[in-house]
Amino acid sequence: MEEREHILKILKNVELALKKRNYTKIKSLSNNIVHNASISQDPDIISTAVIIYSLSKLLEREAYKDNRNWDKFYNQYIQHIKKANMALKKDNIAEFRQEIDLIRKLIQGLSGKLKDYIHDVFRKAKINKASKIYEHGISMGKTAKILGISIWELAEYSGKTGIGDVNLAVTMPLKKRIKLAEEIFR
Amino acid sequence: MEKNLIFDAGPLINFSMNGILHILKKLKKEFKGDFIITKEVYHEIIEYPLKIKRFELGALQLKELFDEGIIKYADLTGQEVDELRKKRNQILDISNSLYRAQGKNIHIIDKGEAAAIALSLVLKEPTALVIDERTARMLIENPDNLRKILQKKLRTNVTTKINNFKELKNLKVIRSTELIYLAHKKKLIELKDPRAYEAMLYGLKYKGCSISENEVQQLKRL
Repeated sequence: MEEREHILKILKNVELALKKRNYTKIKSLSNNIVHNASISQDPDIISTAVIIYSLSKLLEREAYKDNRNWDKFYNQYIQHIKKANMALKKDNIAEFRQEIDLIRKLIQGLSGKLKDYIHDVFRKAKINKASKIYEHGISMGKTAKILGISIWELAEYSGKTGIGDVNLAVTMPLKKRIKLAEEIFR
Repeated sequence: MEKNLIFDAGPLINFSMNGILHILKKLKKEFKGDFIITKEVYHEIIEYPLKIKRFELGALQLKELFDEGIIKYADLTGQEVDELRKKRNQILDISNSLYRAQGKNIHIIDKGEAAAIALSLVLKEPTALVIDERTARMLIENPDNLRKILQKKLRTNVTTKINNFKELKNLKVIRSTELIYLAHKKKLIELKDPRAYEAMLYGLKYKGCSISENEVQQLKRL
């Protein structure tokens, strides 16, 4: 794994933020990962970013916390993050990946409304991270592939983020582009 | 002479999500040539979303457009197909080693975008690319601005070998919004309400067309 040190630092900070119940910090840590994820496009970093962002969203909302399976799910989720962290500390990449995979299986094993809710949180987390990576300058097609989502989902989300309003992105005077369009249709 | 308009996936998805594919049909009638897609784009706009319930309807509508020949594959000889594949891989290789940060190449585009660009280089007839997403358009029109965006967002120094990519400089790129501008000027928009044109421009912007607010305002006034 290319980015072991970086993930370790992030996971350590996630644990600290969890202790302090600083959920905003957890979200910002997931955004920090995106800088590196955009360069390395390492699947382990991407998975970590999605898991941490999802954690922040799970903690942010209250609606489902009275679900009878919530406590069990949450405790297992945190345990897997801690174990993934420990595995990385030992430089045991296989075990780290196993823990990440166990989080995926944990979600798959849920049932009822909680399953739907958590699935939705993870799907949206993927789209959010994809949008951030696209915002960093990686193409829509490449980003969708990295996150395993469709361009449809990414286009729908990123269109609302103001990516097109960045001055540097205006690469040709509009009148010139219209002239190109008119010429090709002539 | 026949012309070609080569579509990336984004603009077709955008037209579909906004429910305005019928305008694309009307534009096709006005166009002296073909609306072309690559196999990679077909996968992204039809095959893949057909498996996702949320996007299945949009994919089916695009499939119908393909079945009717409104959008189609390029009519290439065997030799041109080989040339296209070679060119696509070359574009992928160059573009994905064009920018470097922290001692690594930044992979910025995927096969779909590379194939659309490659096709516009392989076809002999006059062509333009229809691209809504920001990165591929910037790569063609202003790769240094793309470097600046990467550098700013990644918060690290990004270096480039822009001279490696002169071939793309002459490619012509338009967006879904320019197509709607043409439809407006040619009076192809059926909705009678005068707000429809502006609503379509914003619809396209909010479904992924990389256009600034200022440009939308300009398009409204022109």
